[in-house]
Amino acid sequence: MAYHLPQLLQRSAEQRPQATAVWARGCTLTYRELEERSNQLAHLLRKRGIQKGDRVGLYFPKSVESLVAMFGILKAGAAYVPLDPEQPSARAGYIISNCKMKGLVTDSLRLRKLDHETIEHRALQIVSGEPVEKELRNSVSWEALGSYPSDRPPDLQPATTDLAYILYTSGSTGEPKGVMISHQNALTFVEWCANTFHVRPEDQLSGHASLHFDLSVFDIYNSIEAAATLHIVPEDILIFPTSVAKFIETHNISIWYSVPGALVQLAQHGKLTKERFPKLRTILFAGEVFPIKHLQKLAELLPDVELYNLYGPTETNVCTYYPVDRSRLAEMEALPIGRACGNTEVFAVDEQGQRVIHAGGAGELYVRGPSVTLGYWGDPEKTRKTVVPNPFQPNFAENVYRTGDVVVLRSDGDFDFLGRRDHQVKVGGYRVELGEVEAALLRHSAVSEAGAFATADPTDGSRIHAVVALHNGSRLSESDLQQHCALHLPRYMVPADIQLREHLPRTSTGKLDRVRLKAEVQPTSS
Amino acid sequence: MGKMESALIKDQVREFIMTIAVRRGVPKVADDDSLTSTGVLSSMAIFRLVSFVEETFSVAIDDDEITSENFGSINAIQEFVLGKLDQASAPRKQ
Repeated sequence: MAYHLPQLLQRSAEQRPQATAVWARGCTLTYRELEERSNQLAHLLRKRGIQKGDRVGLYFPKSVESLVAMFGILKAGAAYVPLDPEQPSARAGYIISNCKMKGLVTDSLRLRKLDHETIEHRALQIVSGEPVEKELRNSVSWEALGSYPSDRPPDLQPATTDLAYILYTSGSTGEPKGVMISHQNALTFVEWCANTFHVRPEDQLSGHASLHFDLSVFDIYNSIEAAATLHIVPEDILIFPTSVAKFIETHNISIWYSVPGALVQLAQHGKLTKERFPKLRTILFAGEVFPIKHLQKLAELLPDVELYNLYGPTETNVCTYYPVDRSRLAEMEALPIGRACGNTEVFAVDEQGQRVIHAGGAGELYVRGPSVTLGYWGDPEKTRKTVVPNPFQPNFAENVYRTGDVVVLRSDGDFDFLGRRDHQVKVGGYRVELGEVEAALLRHSAVSEAGAFATADPTDGSRIHAVVALHNGSRLSESDLQQHCALHLPRYMVPADIQLREHLPRTSTGKLDRVRLKAEVQPTSS
Repeated sequence: MGKMESALIKDQVREFIMTIAVRRGVPKVADDDSLTSTGVLSSMAIFRLVSFVEETFSVAIDDDEITSENFGSINAIQEFVLGKLDQASAPRKQ
């Protein structure tokens, strides 16, 4: 198997140069075009000073250029950092500075919204869209690619342990943290997927997840690995189930991967029938718990589709999986998260630090193997908290990842998910640290105390609520506070409602008592 | 459908949209702004919007009609509602 992600593209381009690699907004690229354009970008990046190990950001809506950019950056020996194109520019600015981004591939719309100071020190911006103003000395237009060599990438001695990309996720102390993923980490997952789901050149994969969400790693790399075709779902239809169903039908999607919420919407409103989707053979879902009754409905509507529950944090990508057993679905109360993927080991560690070996035992899930992250960018302290020496390996140094998820071992050897050890919740599949929401609220000069908690939500998994105390004499409305949050947090983290109180409940040690907060406060929206 | 009535439809739609938008931290929404790319509409809000339109204007909306063409902007929603109301009153025009 490949040891470097660009080899996946190179091999498919050799075997099927004229096959369509990707479709997005009516544009397509063949494998050969994708290979050549990414070679050109790699040479451009090197010529403009990007060196091995540098970080280059991607900050524009998904398009065929996204794939050119990802592979071009990797071929230049650098790591790409996908930035959520819909997050507030302050948060994007934080990430750009945090990983000392050397280059940025973006569009003129987003470039204009970034703080001038943030981009001034970047070596390079590659901009598509309208021509860039002359003051941006280090800007280069996307069209400049054409003048660089296309037949092969720069010759750089890559190794599988090189950093491939950094995905930023919610951080409990207020700022997002960058999960570092090497080529080896990514390929461990890609190889397991290839062996388990048997993606073939005839397959049409959907690209539903955003690039900063690791579900997209399967969409892109497994499609490329198999020389299949990736169909990027346009952002503007994502929330309309009828349109998404039409997309699946028109593009003959054979493998779909998304968060359960999208599938729940499709099952309820998408008028799904197996006649409409004769080619749809496999549905993968991950990111949050799939409410059983909605899964049962989906299974009924699409009787011939294989369904898989995938589980795993960004730090390991998917580490366990559960193929849905349709014959048992009717009596199930919750889906197991299953057992370890290939080339991965998982085990639970109980409160006494012992490995859970008996059915019914509960503990924190640990992951071992080459999929485990290198750590958090620039934060060895946070890294040490979750990437730890394997407590059960006395003979040599080996790291394992502590997921913070509590699981129970079943008698069949699969695991069931119980809950979190901390204050992290999932909204629409995305990780949200309640601490990050609180930190954003506290940034407002009028706010003296802030507390956030979550309640269950049928579509998104969780709904975030906040309670705030203001400094004496301050006056702010709920919508003032929500707008303030929207400047600092991605939309899915903005609390659904924010109530004002004189004081927030505290524990005997003075810490915010979230349990009492949740019990005392009645959320205003239902 | 009189001009007054279509303006009233738009006002009611705009007011509802703004309650969602403000909650999402979007302070202003122009009538032709895309509700998806500005992030105003989420996968949950779209169904609250559909219920609002059904109840406020007494129309029945089929799942097939919940598309970005019909709900993508304040203008689009107004056009869609006008179309539905015209359909409902069509037999009387004979």
